[in-house]
Amino acid sequence: MSGQGLSPSLETRKPLKSTWNSRGVKHSALGLLMVIPSFLLLLFMIVVPIVTSIQESLTGNDGQFTRDNYKYLFTDPAMKANIMYTLNLTVVSSVSVLVIAYLLAVFLRFSTGKLAKWIEKLYYIPMFIPSVIATYGIINMYGNHGWLARIMLHFTDAPFMKVLYDYKGLLLANLWFNIPFAAMLLSSALSGIPNAVIESAKDIGAGKIQIFFRIIFPLSFKSMLVAATFVVMGVIGSFTAPFLIGPNAPQVLGVAMQQQFSVYFETGIASACAVFMFAICSLVGYFYIRNMMKEER
Amino acid sequence: MLSWYFKRLGSRKIIEFIIFALFIFFFLGPLINLALLAFSGKWQFPAALPQSWSLTWWKYVLSQPEILKSIGLSFLIAIVVTALSIIICVPAAYAFARLRFPLSRWFLFSFLLTNAFPKMGLYVAIAVLFFKVGLMNTFMGVVLIHIVNTLMYMTWIPAASFKSVHKAQEEAARDAGAGPLRVFWNVTLPMALPGIIVASIFTFLSSLDEAQGTFMVGMPDYKTMPLIMYGAVQDYPATAGAVFSILLTLPTIILLFVSRRFVSADVMSSGFTMK
Repeated sequence: MSGQGLSPSLETRKPLKSTWNSRGVKHSALGLLMVIPSFLLLLFMIVVPIVTSIQESLTGNDGQFTRDNYKYLFTDPAMKANIMYTLNLTVVSSVSVLVIAYLLAVFLRFSTGKLAKWIEKLYYIPMFIPSVIATYGIINMYGNHGWLARIMLHFTDAPFMKVLYDYKGLLLANLWFNIPFAAMLLSSALSGIPNAVIESAKDIGAGKIQIFFRIIFPLSFKSMLVAATFVVMGVIGSFTAPFLIGPNAPQVLGVAMQQQFSVYFETGIASACAVFMFAICSLVGYFYIRNMMKEER
Repeated sequence: MLSWYFKRLGSRKIIEFIIFALFIFFFLGPLINLALLAFSGKWQFPAALPQSWSLTWWKYVLSQPEILKSIGLSFLIAIVVTALSIIICVPAAYAFARLRFPLSRWFLFSFLLTNAFPKMGLYVAIAVLFFKVGLMNTFMGVVLIHIVNTLMYMTWIPAASFKSVHKAQEEAARDAGAGPLRVFWNVTLPMALPGIIVASIFTFLSSLDEAQGTFMVGMPDYKTMPLIMYGAVQDYPATAGAVFSILLTLPTIILLFVSRRFVSADVMSSGFTMK
């Protein structure tokens, strides 16, 4: 890109509004040129794979069209159990994450204490910790002979409950991974609510509960939707924690899919599984994208 | 005595303290535990704290050729990924923020696709494609999967920063006789830099930590640090695993500390939402 091509003379620079003069055409061409590389990457890495996997899921080992992969997905008892397990875990985890993250964000927004300031500084950390490390930390903390079990031994003789390789462990890992992120999105939204608005509501006699439901909740609802989308997406597609601390049966879909692909070389079934996941998430994704598009205008 | 103390503190303070304690226990407990483990020599079961401290496991971990190789590979991949991402995404971000071009809205929202699908499903789909085009188990394949992970933040966060630079300031510089490139270099870029830095750090760290995608398309030749860790969880003694965990987390902590000025909820949120 040479500086010359970009540099309009003083006269052509003035009319900012008009789009289709020579400057407008230059802008269009330049804009497209700047965006095309990342768009092509997107096409190759997202759109093409999804199309390929739909194709793959409908092709049998003999190369003919078949619906067997989907039939297997919804009739095989183990697979059915996996699907129900994943959906259950996703709903329970997402709701818990959003409720706790919202409470945390509200606390951070309205608390003035020193300890709240510390939480504000520290809650970024889990977002940046590699998921393998966090999972390893959870293993060493909550394992049968883990730190918590050792500490509890000083207070009670009761045997330590089983957390790892169990539903509880996955729920715990999902909370650990997703609360900080959701709290970040929500507290960014809450900090956008001016104190003046809340003060004036107080002045005309609104109670705490009224302020929350009439002002704070509606104003942060959109961010709640965004957070919900990302949390659902993150939980349903999670792999590392279930791979390392999940039960062997039933499995989370992410792990089941990886096994089908890398261990049994059942590309068709793995693809059908992926397509099924896309179908669920495109529903969630649709609302997110629509919501964002409204926001833009 | 104690109850008097609590009364003076007030219930508000007590609630704050309880929340703080729960927060530290739940979110930092597992990490503190790893830090203790890494420097412990002997820590047998019933003891709540290590019985002796030592650095022997550090020596052990740092003498494993497999681990050293993975550290080098991870950093190489992360650097290549970050550099390519900046080259691809920052111009696009600038175009979204400042230029009018046809279909710009469609292009902008197409980036949402990277986040509209669950990761593992997408990786399986990508792996199926990579098999067909021969990108399985290649350096390029791993790099591509890392780039696509952060494509959206890498475009949206800088785009939000470019947008937040006031046009009036650019106009003023132009009126003073600076060319467009000079305006970009001396006015726009420095003001948008915090956003670009945050996005780049995000990309670098996410590449360094990426495990699932690499596990799908990079095995068996491209064993990055997180993949070694998958094995270490099962095969190594807990102390060695803890040491390796710290090695893997160290770049994150250092980079976050250096850039803490720039990292805020608002800047990071702009990678996920439109404002």
